[in-house]
Amino acid sequence: MSDADTLLIDRIRQGEATAWTDLIARYEGRLLAFVESRLGRRAPSEDIVQEAFLGFLNSLPNFDGKRPLEGYLFSICAYKLTDHLRREGRRPAVPLSSSNDSSGEWHIAGSERPASSIARSGERKNLEEKAVSHALRDQIERWAEKGEWQKLMCAELLFVRGWANKEVAEELDLSEQQVANYKFDFIARLRTMVQKQELSAEVFPELADEEVQP
Amino acid sequence: MTTPASSPQPRRLSDAELEAYLEESLPAEAMVAIELELRQRPELLRRLSTILGRRDAGLHSVGEIWRRHRLSCPDRQQLGSYLLGVLDNDHANYIRFHLDQIGCRYCQANYADLRLQQEETQELIITRRTKYFQSTAGHLRQTP
Repeated sequence: MSDADTLLIDRIRQGEATAWTDLIARYEGRLLAFVESRLGRRAPSEDIVQEAFLGFLNSLPNFDGKRPLEGYLFSICAYKLTDHLRREGRRPAVPLSSSNDSSGEWHIAGSERPASSIARSGERKNLEEKAVSHALRDQIERWAEKGEWQKLMCAELLFVRGWANKEVAEELDLSEQQVANYKFDFIARLRTMVQKQELSAEVFPELADEEVQP
Repeated sequence: MTTPASSPQPRRLSDAELEAYLEESLPAEAMVAIELELRQRPELLRRLSTILGRRDAGLHSVGEIWRRHRLSCPDRQQLGSYLLGVLDNDHANYIRFHLDQIGCRYCQANYADLRLQQEETQELIITRRTKYFQSTAGHLRQTP
């Protein structure tokens, strides 16, 4: 969280009304744009943003100050929006089933072990996520500093959108071989980092997918 | 949401896109398209259920971590510079890609807000902010 946001939160925690006004002024526009893009109607969108602000105040005692404030507000807003869409019947509920085969177990790519057998603490999961997010951030910053935007775009389409190599190659006007090479390098770096930090590679199925150079 | 230029038919949704759907982070038109598809294709609901199960089991996906931490999102200042057209070409191209091709919903919202700030009247903005304040300030209290 930025220093400005940290100060703002401290003042709100003291019950300072002007700080609350400042937070609303700083964030309401982007939250409203987020909701309105989905609902297409101003009045219910404003109602959802209002609910999100209320939700934020109610959750303030539990708010982790290390978390970026904008992301936290967006996540509350997304939750309220999803709830609204369910009530309107627009967003179907997803059954909370954990079985996709007859055994009722989840299997990890490249592993015979069901995922439930590697169940571990929330603390461990957070540690894994933090380590990978740091490694990814470092890589993305390096690409940006070097102006290697194409590599960044390639990785983003492959992993954030989950596109196939062929689709990415067509979109970015690259050869499939170039995409495969970028992907291989990227996965190899992440895998090395996971090994160095002695994290379990099994919980990152994508890192187990491509063991050989394309 | 864009689809690869030469795809003759609607492409199969990737697991990463379905994860983003569950997070309410795909662009609005893609969210609506998936909602419609879910009504016609029950197997899509099963795929979503599978993804939730994987998460519950503690498996990570790179895309999920990337989106959650917003690792490649331009900051607000960069979006403002993009809006004003003062970024160098390559950086501007990347931001356009992130907004349009990746369709990052949070950056789209920030960008729309920055654009609207130039168009909306101050009176309208103040009225809205006052309404938010008045309806929530009663819950403002000292917290540890």
